[in-house]
Amino acid sequence: MPMRLCWDWRLARVFDDAGEIVDESVWGGRRGVGAVADRLERLSSGRMSDEARVLAQRFPEAEPCAVHDLAEGDWPELALEESELLGRAAVQLARSGVAAAAGDADRRLEHLVRAAGELRAAWGTLEARVVEWAGLFLPALDLDAARDAMPQAVADADSLEAAATSLGTEAADVVVPAAEWKALNGWAQGVVDASARLEAVEQAVRELSTSHLPSTSALIGPLLAARLCTSAHGRQRLARLPAGTIQVLGAEKAFFMHLRSGIPPPKHGHLFQHPWVNRSPRWVRGKVARMLSGKVAIASRLDAFDGEPWGADEAAALERQVQAIRERHPRPPRRN
Amino acid sequence: MARGGRSARVADLSWAVRTEGRSLWSRNAVPGVAVRGERLKRRRGEEWRQWSPRRSKLAAGLLRSKGDKGSLLPEPGTTTLYLGAGHGTTISYLHDHLCGAQNERGGCIVAVDISPRCMRDLVRLAEVRPGLVPVLADARHHEAIAPFLPARVRWLFQDVSQAGQVDMHIAAAQRFLAPNGLSLLSLKSASERSEHGGRGVPRDHYDHARAALTDAGAEVLEVIELTGWEEQHALIVSRMPEEWGKT
Ligand SMILES: C[S@@+](CC[C@H](N)C(=O)[O-])C[C@H]1O[C@@H](n2cnc3c(N)ncnc32)[C@H](O)[C@@H]1O
Repeated sequence: MPMRLCWDWRLARVFDDAGEIVDESVWGGRRGVGAVADRLERLSSGRMSDEARVLAQRFPEAEPCAVHDLAEGDWPELALEESELLGRAAVQLARSGVAAAAGDADRRLEHLVRAAGELRAAWGTLEARVVEWAGLFLPALDLDAARDAMPQAVADADSLEAAATSLGTEAADVVVPAAEWKALNGWAQGVVDASARLEAVEQAVRELSTSHLPSTSALIGPLLAARLCTSAHGRQRLARLPAGTIQVLGAEKAFFMHLRSGIPPPKHGHLFQHPWVNRSPRWVRGKVARMLSGKVAIASRLDAFDGEPWGADEAAALERQVQAIRERHPRPPRRN
Repeated sequence: MARGGRSARVADLSWAVRTEGRSLWSRNAVPGVAVRGERLKRRRGEEWRQWSPRRSKLAAGLLRSKGDKGSLLPEPGTTTLYLGAGHGTTISYLHDHLCGAQNERGGCIVAVDISPRCMRDLVRLAEVRPGLVPVLADARHHEAIAPFLPARVRWLFQDVSQAGQVDMHIAAAQRFLAPNGLSLLSLKSASERSEHGGRGVPRDHYDHARAALTDAGAEVLEVIELTGWEEQHALIVSRMPEEWGKT
């Protein structure tokens, strides 16, 4: 057995080839909770204690060895007060680890992305209701054309007639009781509020995503970049995903169905929402999505590993490539 | 048949854990406080907490085990390692058994979880349960855990919902479990990808885990299927050999 050097937060020891203790250095500092926590943190990141370093200099031939690999009895057990100290130091370290999570951009982005998703879903239900509800009282209105203007117009009006006038139409010839109008008007204000809140959340997503994922944001837009990052459970993980997986991020359900029951794998997830994909003719979407996910794979690595970030130039080059794909395949492939 | 109440048969699994009829209870180390809204009751001046098999895979394993149930638990007053601590539900019961009030037994649970959200709850639990040592770390990152363990442990529990659980468990056992130590692996069959494209039934996964543990030199004592309480889950109990970990 070679000469071995072992240490923990309390002491360091050197054992010779016969397992005898040749040297020992015991931490002589004041044993406070904070000091123990500092030592544990240092050891956790794989570094030596000061005592171990001293012994390592004295016995450079000694090989570092975990205390867990020593024979029983070769390492002192924790005394009662040492166990208590260790416990309290661990609590302090865990607490600061929890606090540090507040600075974790991945987690903040995740909350923002999910908040945006929930708000958008809620907004969709509210908005559909106000269009149909107010539309009932405005029978001549073209609901498709007026849709976007309706929530604001109804929210701002103080009567059904006023709402009709501002939308350039006439109200139906029925008496709408005051309470009912108040309810409708309040509903419309809720839709307007929800739009404003959604905009605020999305603005926050854009800002955080642009700083956390600059290259990916430049390439495909910050909102989509944020969604990919959240689906991948963070920037580091996104950076490690192969392009094929990036392409189906956001379609996890369909993907697992594919694994389980052998139905064809999904062709696109979040990336499908990008206009380069979903505004391409259907027969080139797969090609565009594949190309795009390849580029995102590179961009996300730049984001995670601090490369020179991509910007508008790379995005423009990519757009030209998308255009080229579309031009190369102007017609659907012939079936034979 | 009379169930519950005083007529149910009581069997002690340890000084602090017992079954009463079909339910499981632990002696509350923090009297008056329920950790997750579980039932509390007093018996001869002692307070007991109900330990539900629906909320804890260890409880489910204890109730389902066909062997000596008490032997699945660690020796009170020893040091144990728990990977995938979650919000600390199971850990609180383990603490009742291992440590007791104000850690009168002198036990220690090094409780590892990767999630800050879980760690936050564990910290609160550790504040009132001395002997519970919370560690925010990836269970695969042994270096981050080692400084909290002064020696190998005789009891290791793992419950991480993640792919590669079996390999993770074997690696942790080789690094931290003492010869003859007991290891309990809560295995979720669905997160263990099988070779033939994920179509495998749970049994395949359990067999795969059993084979991997056996190959590593462990003796698989029992595969406890938790169906009914935890679908697609099993608790795999193994014992390490005498010459374990000596390289
Ligand atoms: C099912 S929960 C554990 C529940 C707990 N055992 C109980 O019974 O109360 C699984 C936990 O594993 C944690 N986890 C997942 N991967 C991990 C890893 N690599 N290292 C440590 N913890 C992990 C998760 O954060 C989660 O809290």
